[in-house]
Amino acid sequence: MKKKVLIVEDAPYMREMLVEMLEGQVGEYEVVGIAVNGKEAVEKYKALKPDIVTMDLVMEVMDGIQAIEEIKKYDKNALILVISALGTPEYRDAAMRVGADGYLWKPFTVKNLIDVLTKLLEHQKQ
Amino acid sequence: MVRITLKGLLILSFTLACALLAFYLNVFRGETRVYPHLFYIPIILAGMWYGKKALYVALFLSAIYIFVTYYSLTPLSVDVFERSAIQLVVAYIIGLISEKRAQVDIELKETKDYLDDVIKSSADAIVVVDMEGIVRSWNKAAEDYMGYTAAEVLGKSNRRFFADPDEADEIMSRVLRDGELKNYRTQVLRKDKKPVHISMSAALLRDKNGIPIGTVRVSRDITKEVELERKIKEERDNLNLIFENMVDGVYIVSRDYTVEFMNKVLIDAFGDQVGGICYEVFHNRKEPCPQCKNPEVLSGKTIRWEWQSRRKNRTYDLIETPLKNSDGSLSKLTIFRDITARKRIEEELKEAKEYYRVIFEYTLTALCVIEDDKTISFANREFESLSGYSREELVGKKWTDFIAEEDLQKVQNYCEERRKGETASCKSFKFLSRTGEIRYVNAWIEPIPGTKRCIASLLNITELKRKKDKLRDTCKRLAELDKMKREFLSVAYHEMRSPLAPIIGYASLLEPKLADRERRYIAIIEQSARELEERINHMLELARIDGKKVELTLGELAVREVVEKVVRKLEPAAEAKNQVISMFIPELTIPADEQKLHTILTNLLSNAIRYTPEGGRIDIIVEDRGADIRACIADTGPGIPAEHLPKIFERFYMVDTSLTRKSGGLGLGLSIVKEYVKMHGGRVWATSELGRGSQFFFTLPKREIMKRSE
Repeated sequence: MKKKVLIVEDAPYMREMLVEMLEGQVGEYEVVGIAVNGKEAVEKYKALKPDIVTMDLVMEVMDGIQAIEEIKKYDKNALILVISALGTPEYRDAAMRVGADGYLWKPFTVKNLIDVLTKLLEHQKQ
Repeated sequence: MVRITLKGLLILSFTLACALLAFYLNVFRGETRVYPHLFYIPIILAGMWYGKKALYVALFLSAIYIFVTYYSLTPLSVDVFERSAIQLVVAYIIGLISEKRAQVDIELKETKDYLDDVIKSSADAIVVVDMEGIVRSWNKAAEDYMGYTAAEVLGKSNRRFFADPDEADEIMSRVLRDGELKNYRTQVLRKDKKPVHISMSAALLRDKNGIPIGTVRVSRDITKEVELERKIKEERDNLNLIFENMVDGVYIVSRDYTVEFMNKVLIDAFGDQVGGICYEVFHNRKEPCPQCKNPEVLSGKTIRWEWQSRRKNRTYDLIETPLKNSDGSLSKLTIFRDITARKRIEEELKEAKEYYRVIFEYTLTALCVIEDDKTISFANREFESLSGYSREELVGKKWTDFIAEEDLQKVQNYCEERRKGETASCKSFKFLSRTGEIRYVNAWIEPIPGTKRCIASLLNITELKRKKDKLRDTCKRLAELDKMKREFLSVAYHEMRSPLAPIIGYASLLEPKLADRERRYIAIIEQSARELEERINHMLELARIDGKKVELTLGELAVREVVEKVVRKLEPAAEAKNQVISMFIPELTIPADEQKLHTILTNLLSNAIRYTPEGGRIDIIVEDRGADIRACIADTGPGIPAEHLPKIFERFYMVDTSLTRKSGGLGLGLSIVKEYVKMHGGRVWATSELGRGSQFFFTLPKREIMKRSE
């Protein structure tokens, strides 16, 4: 059973790269949707019910923090991994406070991404 | 009128008796010869008592006798007339003698009365004492001062009057020896036993044969004189005592410059020179000193003058006055005082006054003296320029007129507090100048001790205040700019990181799909991107430190474990250069932020690896120093020139900024090390010797330090 992933990212080549990284892992992840801002992310989460959300922080219309809050309000068991260039503790803490489950600091390699996701899923199982 | 006295009657009776007897004897018996002798009885009595008046009795009786005889015996014999004549002669002689005697008696009595009067009324006591010492006469004056009445002492011994009774005999023997005693002074005891001072003169009394029969003593109460003399002596003694003990020098010289008196001070200084010549003994001269005032003083003037002795470099204050000697001649009394010290103090005082006047006048602080009624009594130059009034105009002005209405109460309260010695700080207020212009001043009010005045010291801070306000604005603007810059940089660093994400991400995607050669290229791309990321991270971290966004998360860390972890991470790089890393680390724990300590060690160790040549050696030594630990990372690199050592931890400092520098970072790593160590309460420094290597030290306290609130 593949894990359904919703990608929230405003930069097109980053969206493409994430799709490539996740789907390159044979049989493990399935990108079920892509959102380009927080508002779209919340809507798509409600519609698609993904297992994992990768969430950028800096986006137009609605930023990542707000989106996490909205999603967590809707489903407190949602699993959200923040992937952002904003890596300093202030941002990290802000995201964690609203309920983010993991944090990946850009730039990252495919290995970094998969390691974090694996750890997150294991953690959720427990 | 003739007084009928007993004597007169007696004589009359005898006379009549004699006449009747003559009648009887002649007429009846014829006797004429014998009885006339009886006639002498009244005649003698009358002669004795009434002088020559006895002649009348004799004449009467003679007439009777002749008459009766003629009657019986005619003719009359010569005998009858002879007898009558004899009676008359007898009467006359007796009368004459008795009158003479009476004359002498009267004269004698008058003399005696006169003497008695003198004795009685004499102010001096006149006492007669006989040879046995018995008082025979005691006059009124004696009664007055001795207290005894004449009745009490007459017939008694005079010994009781003397404190020592033998003195009575002594006086007597002296009078006997010398015939007299003059102004003999002694003390006698009054009746009430009080002693009286007397002066006594005595003379010897002799009888008509020259045999001494007693002494007459004239004495006077001289208690008052003695008391006066005693007082005079006492005062003279006191005066001498004063002269003797005066700290001033006192001396007396005569007209011929002979020293007659010197007091103790002078004697101590010059030795006893009484009898010497003053200019010789005091001034070592052969003739009178030129400044000597002897001629003037001896003409009767009192002179006070100051004398500056150049030879001794001292100043004296002298008072010289003529002094009358007992023989009427004049001497000069000199009282002098060494006022050198006083003069010097006066000079110094004058200097100090001038000194303070200059300070008061030319200080750049406006100063004025405020009287009790708040008027200005004195102001300096700066106050003139601050107020716009001249000092003549200022005197008498109310100083409160210079204070802006809204500050008046504040300043008055401040003045009151200062008067009570409270509020040890200055107050700012708005000062109104002549033109109504507002000047900002800092004021200090200081009460002048011992008076009701105070000094107001005003510092014109108008310009300062303007500059301060401007500076504050500038600071505010700078702070805003700084905040903007930091915010901008914070965003900028993140924005700079963003493009790295696809570079590294895609590179990691490409890597497995490529052949060896291309894979190496990709690895280089990734490596370079990572280096770029690290540099951005350093800048970002420093920006966060400056923005006070970095906090410590302290935990009890085993130092050796942390060091080993860092070494393990960096060992591959060292091995690639054939370097040996040695560790000397004791077992101990310290409270520290693990991530920060990790960064500190990583930065220092990676620097050491980077700068140490192939095959070099790196030592990591940690020492337990009790209160803290000291870590040292020593390498065998080229070393750092001494002039750079103090600056290498400074932000953006680079040892070499030339284009030929060995590349390898912005040098921000050491700045971060320094900030992290500082945050822990430690210290960081480096030592180095060119060609021999460098040693980087840092200390970390073993006890958690209280976070200072900034």
